[in-house]
Amino acid sequence: MNKTFLSLIVTLGVALALHFGVKPMFLPKEPTMIFNRYAFFIVLVLSIIAVNLILRLSPVMTMKAAYVWGLGFYFYDQILYPHVPWTLFITYMMLWTIGTFLYISQDSKTFAEFREPIVKTITGEFKIARYIVFAALPVLVGMGTYKFIYPTYPEPVELRTVHPAPPATTKVHGKTYTLEGLQNPYRVDEQDNYYEGGTHLPVEGKFPFLDAESVEYMKYVTEGGTVFFQNCHYCHGDQLNGLGMFSHVFNPTPANFVDPGTIAMLRESFLFWRVSKGGPGLPNESTPWSSAMPPWEEHLTTEQIWKVVLFEYWYTGWHPRTFDEESSSGGEGGGGH
Amino acid sequence: MVSTKMNKLRALPFAMFLALAAFAVNGLMADVASAKEVFAEQAFAEQAFAKEVLAEEGAEGEGEGEPAIEWSQDVFYKDWEGNPLKGPVSGAPAPDLGPNDYNNYDFAPSRILLWIANQQHLYFGSFVLAVPIFCMLIEFIGIRTRESDPVLSEKYDRLAQDLMKVSLTAYSWTAILGGVLLFTFITLFPGFFKYMAGIFRPVMHVYALMFLAESGVLYVYYYGWEKMKHDPFLKWIHCSLSVLLNLIGTVLMYLANSWATFMQAPGGIDEQGRFLGNIWHVIHSTLWNPVGVHRILGNIVFGGGIVGAYAAYHYLTAKTPEEKAHYDWVCYIAMFIAIFGLIPLPFAGYWLMKEVYAFRQQMGITLMGGIMAWLFIIQAVMIGLLFFGANSYLHNSMARVRGSHRYMKYCKYMVLVLIVCFTAWMTPHTIVMTPAELKEMGGAQHPVVGHFGVMSAKNTAVNLMITTTIFCFLLYQRANKKITVKWATIGNCWLGAIFVGAACNIVYLGVYGYFLPANQRVGLSVPQVTTTLTTLFAGTAINISMFKDSESYGDIEWGTQSRVATYAIFLLAISFTWLMGLMGYIRSAVRLFWHVTEVLRDNSPDAYTLTIGEAGKILTFNALFVWVQFVIVFWVGSLTGKKKVESAAPQGVPVPAQQQQ
Repeated sequence: MNKTFLSLIVTLGVALALHFGVKPMFLPKEPTMIFNRYAFFIVLVLSIIAVNLILRLSPVMTMKAAYVWGLGFYFYDQILYPHVPWTLFITYMMLWTIGTFLYISQDSKTFAEFREPIVKTITGEFKIARYIVFAALPVLVGMGTYKFIYPTYPEPVELRTVHPAPPATTKVHGKTYTLEGLQNPYRVDEQDNYYEGGTHLPVEGKFPFLDAESVEYMKYVTEGGTVFFQNCHYCHGDQLNGLGMFSHVFNPTPANFVDPGTIAMLRESFLFWRVSKGGPGLPNESTPWSSAMPPWEEHLTTEQIWKVVLFEYWYTGWHPRTFDEESSSGGEGGGGH
Repeated sequence: MVSTKMNKLRALPFAMFLALAAFAVNGLMADVASAKEVFAEQAFAEQAFAKEVLAEEGAEGEGEGEPAIEWSQDVFYKDWEGNPLKGPVSGAPAPDLGPNDYNNYDFAPSRILLWIANQQHLYFGSFVLAVPIFCMLIEFIGIRTRESDPVLSEKYDRLAQDLMKVSLTAYSWTAILGGVLLFTFITLFPGFFKYMAGIFRPVMHVYALMFLAESGVLYVYYYGWEKMKHDPFLKWIHCSLSVLLNLIGTVLMYLANSWATFMQAPGGIDEQGRFLGNIWHVIHSTLWNPVGVHRILGNIVFGGGIVGAYAAYHYLTAKTPEEKAHYDWVCYIAMFIAIFGLIPLPFAGYWLMKEVYAFRQQMGITLMGGIMAWLFIIQAVMIGLLFFGANSYLHNSMARVRGSHRYMKYCKYMVLVLIVCFTAWMTPHTIVMTPAELKEMGGAQHPVVGHFGVMSAKNTAVNLMITTTIFCFLLYQRANKKITVKWATIGNCWLGAIFVGAACNIVYLGVYGYFLPANQRVGLSVPQVTTTLTTLFAGTAINISMFKDSESYGDIEWGTQSRVATYAIFLLAISFTWLMGLMGYIRSAVRLFWHVTEVLRDNSPDAYTLTIGEAGKILTFNALFVWVQFVIVFWVGSLTGKKKVESAAPQGVPVPAQQQQ
């Protein structure tokens, strides 16, 4: 029997056996380091390589490319969990396809080897393969067309800007704030050095979370936390991960502050503006009609807003975004840089 | 023969060592350098203060009839204490532009016309700035190889001259496009241009004079080629002219850059847009240096791409093996230079973005997280294509070298690393998804791939991609060499250790970044870049040192470049053209509704941001249009060559064997 054909049968057999027989064992209710879906994928890949090596099947390049591409598809479709959105799936598969092409085209020999069965199928040298391909092709196109034109009613997707650029200034409770350089009045500096009880001297090297004696700082944090749990946690969650009890009815979902891509990347002045102005204060690029967050300036005082911001950073352990003084100062001494 | 060839390579390790030393010393001397900088800044501040006092005294001492000098605060520059720097008001305030300050044609918006005129000029400007850099390098290599390999030396020299010939046509073309751009500004945006001309008046005149100097040196350089070719001393003078040509070209580019960087991040003016008397402040605004460095590197890659595509086209259409061999070799030289520029290019981009963020957080967020963020995703795709194209070319080129079978087995792993890294590199932080998908995911961020959306992952990915490309390049260098030095095993171990250590360090720093505040995380990119550059310098130095007395498996068989490699060059060239247009558009469009950020408002009907699709159409048009022009320019450049063919003996006339080529 043709070794490549044998390789195909063996590989498919191994893959199906592992998928249906072994995979459930790797998906226990409590995933562990060893028994999880990613470990299963490694087992699957190694098994396919091993069985081909042991039987010395050495399939042609076309078949190898099909295995590589198929494994990529299997990973993104079956292993990666939760399933990534369709747009990302397409992007990943496009990349994997490019990678597969780079693999087969790394030298003219491998590329010729890859092309050979395709050319032979088209020219009719591989008769059976040609019959199969030319019969399957219209069926596949037909199925694709059917799927494409079959009416479905998904909610539309939209390109929404999650972190829009803040305005230069914002007016809260009748006072105009310039956001560039605006500091949280309850924070000494962005590295969480803080005022020690009334001395107004920064205490360096201590993280307030670990320091029970930081009375004044913790007082503000606690006040901010109280405001948060009275007003914000219904949407943003009691762990600040955006999974509050109401979060699932919103699209987009409330911000997840634990994620390194949200408040960890932003200055406190940005949060001050966003919390104060809420959804209605967003620029059009952020589709303000898609945000349910109220303008909190109508419900909270300026001090309360700053304290909530302080709490959010304290609770998540993130530090507000800062920039080098040297760079942002416009070159001290007039020399620029 | 092999050993003589190797002799010339001895200088290379030394040069690489020097480069590494300079690179390392720079880091070690950071404190000294910063101390010097502080001193210079202090001196500058004192000077500014003295100037201020003198001017005030002068103003007081003058008669009552004389108008007093008005002083105002700079929008960007600060003095030693962090207060805005003051300067004497020396210009008119930025005008409030009205309908009379804008003109338009019916067939297209003025902004689009200006964009096209600007982009076409920039494309050609990049090309004519890049080609002299090429010629300088190639001519220099030709001079250095004259004694060891006269035939190769002549080939280098001929190539440099041929490129210069094309550049000559492109040069006048660039000037014509510059004229078109100038007229577009004056006719369609007269109010804006009047303001800019008022501030940059002396710079514009110097720019024009520098063009004169550039033209003069260019003509002497090109037309003096044959005369200065044979005498060694004159040849060095000729090569020095190329250095001068590049220096003038760089100054020209920097002067023109100052207009764009001033528009984006102005300095040297007050809030009303009035010039404060110091022209250096206006030129040297905060983005001037990063934009300049980024453009120089970009020009090199762009030039390499165009020359590579030109050679690739001739390679595909070549009829004789000699022609094929020649153009295969030209492809190699062009790609070598392009990849050389491509490796540090992302780092220059990081520097530029860091400065943009530092100038205005608002601008940084608009670019990376706001309305321009999706264009940055497209940019990520294009950069990935560049790296794929470069690596595909290296793999295919390596495959045709005898002895490369020893290393070809690593190619698939390198491809895997590239793809995995690129997957992380282009995973967006905000994913386009339906509400049903969002619910399935359980939140806006994916619990696994969501971690790839931040800079820690992206920095790590791009550094690993570059390190992989460097590794591939080293394998290519040694593909046909049988290493015979006694310390071959130790050398290989060192190389392995450097690359494995670098990969571990880059990954470690990337993961560590997730546990640090954002500002410190940004700082981690410096050791990551240092690690990557160390693999380049140290790896290449060790690799080349090992070639001493090496045996050859055979010379590279020029003329056997695979079709995939040839098409990879086209991919590189076209991707880079499109990418240049895209990044130029992003950099310019981030000003949104300002001509000059926060100073001169764009009150034209075109002060809107294009949709991604519309911007894409214009970018594609620009890329196609410039390539049509390049084809014409190359065709014009080849007309001289065709004459030679025509003057050959007509068919049917017997030609003595000695006279046949």
